[in-house]
Amino acid sequence: MAVNSMTRPGPGRSRPGRGGLARRALDSEQFNGWAFVTPGVAVILLFGAVPIVWSAVMSFQKSSLGSSTPFVGLVNYRTLVHDPVVSQAIQHTLIYTALFVPGTMVVGLFLAVAMNRKIRFISVYRTAAYATMAISAISEAIVFIWLFDPSYGVVNFFFSKVGLPQQQFLNSPSEALYVIVAMTIWGWTGFAVVVYLAALQGVPRSLLEAAAIDGAGPWRTFRRVTLPLLSPATLFLAVWLTINALQLFDEVYLSTQGGPLNATTVLVYYLYEQAFEQFNFGYASAIAYFLFLIIIVVTALQFWLSRRYTFYRS
Amino acid sequence: MSATSAPARDELRPAPDDGLPAPRRRLRLPFSPWHLVLIPATVVLLFPFYWLIVTSLETEPDALHFPPILIPHVLRFANYADALASAPFVRFFVNSAIVTATTVLCNLVLCSLAGYAFARFRFLGRGALFAVLMATLMVPFQVTMIPQFIVVKWLGVHLLAGVGIDHLGALILPNAATAFGIFFMRQFFRTLPLEYEESARVDGAGRLTVLVRIVLPLATAPLATLAALTFLDSWNDFLWPLIAITSPDKMTLQLGLATFQGAHATEWSLLMAGNVMSLAPMLVVFFVAQRFFVRSVAATGLSGT
Amino acid sequence: MAIARHHRRGTLALLLAALTAAGATLAGCGTDAQSGTGSGGPVTIQIWDGYQSAEATAFSHLVSEYEAAHPGVKISSLYVNNDDTLQKVLTAVKGGSTPDIAYLYGSWAPQVAEIPQVVNLTQVVKQSSVNWNDFYVGERDVATVNGKVIGIPALVDNLAVVYNKKLFQAAGLPLPGANWTWSDFVADAAKLTDAAKKQYGTAYVTPGTEDTVWHWEALLWEAGGSLLTADNKQAAFDSAAGLESLQTLRTMAVTDKSMYLDPTDETYQNLFNSGKLGMLVTGPWDLSSFPNVDYGVQVMPSYPGSSAGHQTISGPDNWVVFNNGSGQVSAAEQFLTWLTAAPQVKYFSMQTGDLPTRASVASAAGFDSDMDKQLTGVSTFIDNLSNVKQARPQIPQYSQVSTVLGNMIVSVLLGKSTPQAALAAAASQVNSDLAGS
Repeated sequence: MAVNSMTRPGPGRSRPGRGGLARRALDSEQFNGWAFVTPGVAVILLFGAVPIVWSAVMSFQKSSLGSSTPFVGLVNYRTLVHDPVVSQAIQHTLIYTALFVPGTMVVGLFLAVAMNRKIRFISVYRTAAYATMAISAISEAIVFIWLFDPSYGVVNFFFSKVGLPQQQFLNSPSEALYVIVAMTIWGWTGFAVVVYLAALQGVPRSLLEAAAIDGAGPWRTFRRVTLPLLSPATLFLAVWLTINALQLFDEVYLSTQGGPLNATTVLVYYLYEQAFEQFNFGYASAIAYFLFLIIIVVTALQFWLSRRYTFYRS
Repeated sequence: MSATSAPARDELRPAPDDGLPAPRRRLRLPFSPWHLVLIPATVVLLFPFYWLIVTSLETEPDALHFPPILIPHVLRFANYADALASAPFVRFFVNSAIVTATTVLCNLVLCSLAGYAFARFRFLGRGALFAVLMATLMVPFQVTMIPQFIVVKWLGVHLLAGVGIDHLGALILPNAATAFGIFFMRQFFRTLPLEYEESARVDGAGRLTVLVRIVLPLATAPLATLAALTFLDSWNDFLWPLIAITSPDKMTLQLGLATFQGAHATEWSLLMAGNVMSLAPMLVVFFVAQRFFVRSVAATGLSGT
Repeated sequence: MAIARHHRRGTLALLLAALTAAGATLAGCGTDAQSGTGSGGPVTIQIWDGYQSAEATAFSHLVSEYEAAHPGVKISSLYVNNDDTLQKVLTAVKGGSTPDIAYLYGSWAPQVAEIPQVVNLTQVVKQSSVNWNDFYVGERDVATVNGKVIGIPALVDNLAVVYNKKLFQAAGLPLPGANWTWSDFVADAAKLTDAAKKQYGTAYVTPGTEDTVWHWEALLWEAGGSLLTADNKQAAFDSAAGLESLQTLRTMAVTDKSMYLDPTDETYQNLFNSGKLGMLVTGPWDLSSFPNVDYGVQVMPSYPGSSAGHQTISGPDNWVVFNNGSGQVSAAEQFLTWLTAAPQVKYFSMQTGDLPTRASVASAAGFDSDMDKQLTGVSTFIDNLSNVKQARPQIPQYSQVSTVLGNMIVSVLLGKSTPQAALAAAASQVNSDLAGS
């Protein structure tokens, strides 16, 4: 991969007023690098990193609403390892992520390709995709709860018409999680479309035309030219969607509340219950850190794999 | 000339602007076949909006129906007036607008700066810093909200009252830059070929000038995207304003909408009317911005690699 | 492309201008909202409540009345959805920014009692002007934790049966009488169920939360059982009464399929209002959600052979006072004792249809019929307050017990386990939870 830092002009070029140690220092990459990142990073560190360190400290304390929060070392983590609900929550979180992330990316890519053209009504189609991001989680939840209602919902109605057996959906411990997958794919498709659409703009037509001239069909061109050029966007989406999927909360809170029988209890929902219903802040923080570990490992894996598959034109 | 035989007519037709070469169709439809895909997709995507709008126009007894009534006999436009009158919504709207506009502006500036640095500069600690930033995305808010409250309260007391608890600044500052935005811009900047930046540098431009004059104009699509996404997050934020705001005149629109949702009884038609009014600015922003999402490839002036 | 050097200053200036504007917005907006006594200034009491529509109007009327009578006091009320109040309060507690008064669910009382900033109101309620015993026993039990009074009752309710008269008549069934039994209920539910019309006899909420649990607890008590032993150290619900109560639910959910299972805890209201449910065991708060139904209200059925009769369960809520300094506390206490005095309770109930928190108000002549004019059927709920004989265990571990019980009930309703097995498993889990903490 090409070097992506820039070199200073060589000594052969002289410019008036240039030279001098101070000038070179101010122009240096170190200074510029830090100067550019400092404002944004300061905000994120203050409001992101500080609370995270704080909650790490909380995870080593026995929670209490009182003023005393005694340090109990690793007790919370030990409880976590033996808690059967935690292992169920891990399972559900991973299954959910494994279905949601590829699902959203595939649907999003398909729709972005479909929308990347100048046909009539294209603005309407695109706005429809983006608009799904704007709708509040509660409206989304209400509509899906109704669509999937076992007695009155459209999906079961459709099933009865095509001869499939009626399902219990959100009432069934084995099906509820998949309903949530469907609900969230719908909710995130717009985001994937937005990202892919922006990325598709960076695919030079000249390359596609060259491929066509070389005799490649549309699918082959897509696979060999477009997809690799989209790989930075794909990496971005994969990472971002995964980070969000592993932290699923709103849809569960608004529809099944972790049920039925913990079937949709995912890690963040469980830690919310521990913090705000059982008042175990310390334990909730421990669960959050355990999740944090999972997320770091998965994200690092994605970045590592991306080195082989991501292509940056610089 | 390609080896496969093709009627001359197809080759003369200009290639569609879709990133794919023109398919050889035997069946000529009067409209693009993509409509057949996009129309059902749009129906699925827009259905909840239809439900939302219909419910917002129903009388309350009709709204309290299950399964929901999709074609009401009576439409009640007064729901919108009632919703606006039930709480100081103009105030809430103004608060949300101030918070969101400022947050978007700050993000565009700060994330472009930082994203560019992470993409192009080599500086000590770059990798570790980026990793720390990404790590801040990985801890759920339910856990960090109490410490964040304490930090914001401290800042309000010791630094600047305007960013403390119960001020709009408390809603803006913690979100003025996000690791998401930095990551997003960094990914985009890395896709740009180096030639233009290098030649500008050789011509004597400073780093900031290169960023602002050369790179950012090429980045209208991702910038518009980041603006739209940040707008969305800020406009829809509920949990942090719930905790940080303690006076009614500082409430944002989402907090205002919550006044329709009681623990036991929800005023559905008013709530949906409020939701529609809250959605409207976002849809306008998207409709306007989507033109920038799709930059015509011809305008970039980039030649093939 | 050559870039002239002077352009750089221009862009830098633009950047700085943008950042300064942002900074100015942050600095410029907001005056400091002072809550508390300035030197000689008015006292401002901050209240967090979840009142909407009729309740909000009635409450602000009372607030204005109090402010007019007490010129040195200002009351600032903030709407917080009751479900969200706990998150907000806990954050405020940890962050040291508590309100003066907050409306908190009674089920949170055991944990609320542990918050150090919560004011002990035991001496306040002993004052004769407060007339503490005028509050129903269920409310007083929920406001008191280990002998310490931590709240003043803000709301009381109870569970009774709301039924659709038209559906009963269509099915040729007599309307529920005051002495009906659970076998009557089950039989009625079966007859009211019509698969072709997608009509159900009754519904039950199954998110597995406390809402799932407390509906069943009423049945347990009616069957003569109790939840925990008297010392709150062991499970007592795995008894004949526990079995009988779970069997009742199971018969409807699994055998007769006359019970609509609602995992969302919201759908059932609209279903009843759409005439798809025959009967509902619910509380007075739902009555205003049924404008399309000609409904009647009846006390819960009883189990013959049990002495508990038509006992029901109540879910009172509390006004809790936080300590922000003695001046604030005494102002808050004064306001609360006024707000919860009989004349104000009567006014609030009459305006909103909420049940009165005081027995003296409920038993006043003409009150019942006046309330019925305001909200049909509410008088049955008012009379039903005398059927509230006990409260749920006021222990901090109750939320853990509730989770176990919620899963137990849902697994029986979904047909995943038999009542015997579910009871046994839940009892052993509860015992270890209670022992472990």
